[in-house]
Amino acid sequence: MRTFLAGGLAAAIVAAFPAHADTADGDATPSTFELSNGMEVVVIPDHRAPVVTHMVWYKVGAVDEDPGKSGIAHLFEHVMFKETDDIGPEEFTTIVQRNGGQLNAFTSWDYTAYYERVAKQHLEKMMELEAERMTDLVINDDPEGPFISERDVVKEERRQRIDNNPGVILQEQVMSALYQDHPYNITVIGKMEEVGALTPQDGLDFYQKWYTPSESILVVAGDVTPDEVRTLAERTYGQITKSDGEVPTRGWREVEPLPATQLIEYSDPKVRQPEWERWYLSTSYSQDQDFAYALDVALDVLGGGRTSRLYQALVEEQKIAVSASAGAWLSLHDTAPAVLSASPSDGVSLDELEAAYMAVVADVLANGFTDAEVERSRNSLAASAIYQRDSQVSLANTYGRTLAIGGTVSDVLNYPDDIRSVTAEDAIAALRRVLAADKNYIEAHLLPEEESQDDE
Amino acid sequence: MTNRTKPAFGAVFGAALLLAACQVPAETAAPSTSIEAATTPSDELTVMVHEGDFARIQQFETPGGISVWLVEEPSIPILALRMAWETGAATDPEGLEGLTDAMTYMMNEGAGELDSLAFATRMEELNMSFGCGSGDEATFCSASMLTDNVADAMGLVALAMTEPRFDADPIERFKREQLIGIRTRETNAGYLAGRARNQVLMPDHPFSRETSEESITAISQEQIAARKDEVMVRDGLLVTAVGAMSPEELAPLLDAALAGLPDSSDVAEIEDVVLNEPVSAPIVVDLPQPQSLVSFTAPGPARDNPDFFPAYVLNYTFGGGGFESRLMKDLRVAKGLTYGIYTGVSTGDHLNTWGGGGQTKNESVGEFISGIKTQMTDIVENGITEPELADAKAYLTGSYPLSFDSNSKIASNLMSVRLEELGVDYFDRRNALVEAVTLDDVNAIAAKYLKPENFTFIVVGEPQGLTETATLAQDGDISVSLDDAGDMEEHDSEETDAMPDPDHG
Repeated sequence: MRTFLAGGLAAAIVAAFPAHADTADGDATPSTFELSNGMEVVVIPDHRAPVVTHMVWYKVGAVDEDPGKSGIAHLFEHVMFKETDDIGPEEFTTIVQRNGGQLNAFTSWDYTAYYERVAKQHLEKMMELEAERMTDLVINDDPEGPFISERDVVKEERRQRIDNNPGVILQEQVMSALYQDHPYNITVIGKMEEVGALTPQDGLDFYQKWYTPSESILVVAGDVTPDEVRTLAERTYGQITKSDGEVPTRGWREVEPLPATQLIEYSDPKVRQPEWERWYLSTSYSQDQDFAYALDVALDVLGGGRTSRLYQALVEEQKIAVSASAGAWLSLHDTAPAVLSASPSDGVSLDELEAAYMAVVADVLANGFTDAEVERSRNSLAASAIYQRDSQVSLANTYGRTLAIGGTVSDVLNYPDDIRSVTAEDAIAALRRVLAADKNYIEAHLLPEEESQDDE
Repeated sequence: MTNRTKPAFGAVFGAALLLAACQVPAETAAPSTSIEAATTPSDELTVMVHEGDFARIQQFETPGGISVWLVEEPSIPILALRMAWETGAATDPEGLEGLTDAMTYMMNEGAGELDSLAFATRMEELNMSFGCGSGDEATFCSASMLTDNVADAMGLVALAMTEPRFDADPIERFKREQLIGIRTRETNAGYLAGRARNQVLMPDHPFSRETSEESITAISQEQIAARKDEVMVRDGLLVTAVGAMSPEELAPLLDAALAGLPDSSDVAEIEDVVLNEPVSAPIVVDLPQPQSLVSFTAPGPARDNPDFFPAYVLNYTFGGGGFESRLMKDLRVAKGLTYGIYTGVSTGDHLNTWGGGGQTKNESVGEFISGIKTQMTDIVENGITEPELADAKAYLTGSYPLSFDSNSKIASNLMSVRLEELGVDYFDRRNALVEAVTLDDVNAIAAKYLKPENFTFIVVGEPQGLTETATLAQDGDISVSLDDAGDMEEHDSEETDAMPDPDHG
């Protein structure tokens, strides 16, 4: 439980948006309103089962950490489960689970979210609990106490997610090189030595600065009506007074273009299959929606699956790769990476693989896409929004994430139509913009230890 | 023991039902489990309707003889379909380990006039997905489609089921992927732990067989085709579906896909696993990484054993209840030794275990294992408390409705009930079975199953602080060694902060 999101490639690719137009019962369209203290509310009715997904999103993430305090956003998220004025140590989870609830939380660079899934009659109780920890969290400052042991837990989490996995270690190095002066250059979980030095006071400062109703979004999906949610939300969250402090400025900023192309090699005795990657800076849904949607389609046609150009050329025809793909993390707020990647067949060097890969890219850049492949891709992306309606959690996540980084409910609702309007010309133009010959990039090689050409 | 599925479509039916648990919500009608028969004169489909608390289940047999459980869900325009056969990879012929995997891999790689690319393209055009996979004891196919083109989508499923091509190119690709997998699994901690567990506890059982370069290379197109006719037969075929479809609409589409399958086949019986005696010293598998994976396994109760529900309830308090479990409260919350530790009761037709695992830095493996054993001993000697039992039941019953909030979850849950033969009213009865468990029941179960000496511990990593360890030889022999005293002190010491900084590669 309690996870953090590193903005993984796979996650970004499946991050589709829900449809609304063809719904059989019009009631399923989301409603939004705002409480008097500035808390935004989104309600997504789904009456198939008598359950609800209740989420609170905070407009703060790892981008907002002070220098030397990497990991505080995520460690603080763990501390939110500890204790409040009215909830005893470690009792938050006890109360939720005693009510049959499932709960968790996650932290990304751009936001932090907490959720409970419960039978609908317990919704108000969940709101009371989340409202309580929005204002009355207790951070224990005993130097041998729970804040300190939670730091050790996060260090174990870091070992489990990152340090045990050569591919993730390499990704961490690449992000650091790609985002030199931008906070995305440190992984969400933070640097081991900085996490180890965080104090209860750091936690308290972070809480007081960022956790206020006006910087939060309530998302409720499930067997409820907007009126029910409004009544319950006003009784709970609505009782919190609006903070009179200044709204803090987010840590988002311009991403500087890469000054030079750079090769990063990482070798490890656990690697048994090499990987080749190129990381470019692209755009994001927040930054330039049209560009980002066109790029989504372009990367899907280029390297989105079995029918893609890259897979067909490198895996099926030439057989020099066992995998070949392309994608981008466009749901990040600031300029996102677009990643080209492939893994070679036995006996194929990374140089040969790269040459073949970039030949496919060059052909596409020179000659463009066909209308048929672009149409198929944009229809698939649009249809994923219909499939998403089968998952309350997935819908709630999409609305919460979109709003937390400054988007709107309309962005989500219009996604299927917007993505269907991308033309073959739009798609190729977006790809040409990202992969232009004068763009620098980070090239990454993951290698078995004995094949390392350069001792890092 | 590995679950063999294609990554894109890895529906695992077995576990889903038991992981999520709960209570009849107030607004649900009181359990009315009456079964009524309805006949539709038009095509003479007899539908048995079960008005359950969590789902209205329509049971029927198609004119072609396919047995279906359907839940109609009109509010979203999608259909989730599951098919299962109770033959899996454990009955692959000797020397052809990987054959059932190869067959299921090939099921969406071309059929009729459509080669692999054309088949995949057609699925994209229809905005549908279809794929198959297998476990040791069963083989599954599953499909998702939009109801506005369901006839075309089911037509493609029918083509795959009736005229699969098994072309040489995708078979070759399957083999390339497998040969790489055979290499990369040697540094996969979870795989290595499972293999060591199998070698120690059940070395001669078919569940412990592995693919090899030889077995993968030996697989031929003819064998794949023959395996399909052995596994995917009408006898024992189970189908579940959830979506905006009526029985009358669905039946002919299913018949076109499935009625033409062979009636039956002879498949060898699998013997029940008889687990070896546990090994007392932790078995260490070396893997160069900063954190070790610790897993532990003991015999568990079968699904139809009266011990099952008390064990299932007790497991919540022991290690299944997340932050509410004793293992998590001690090893994560109090001691900061791990990000997570979990246990589960795993049941099957031939193997039943109670096990768990977690990860901790190499320096604290000794402390981690002794902490786990201390918790086991405490639960065995003192049992759990009445409030703990009440909390476990409250969660397990209260969260049960959460397992029924999507078409795909309901389709998978229906399939679990069918595979385990729990009965169409199982969803309605299940919470009462949880509620009926008493404190005496769980404490008797604790004493019977959770003694530390029942468990075999496997450690994958570079553990320190273990006074006695065992290693597995290639031939499966186990040798035990005692470390010198130097390591013994280390498990109490603070961890060093000597982690390499990955930001300076």
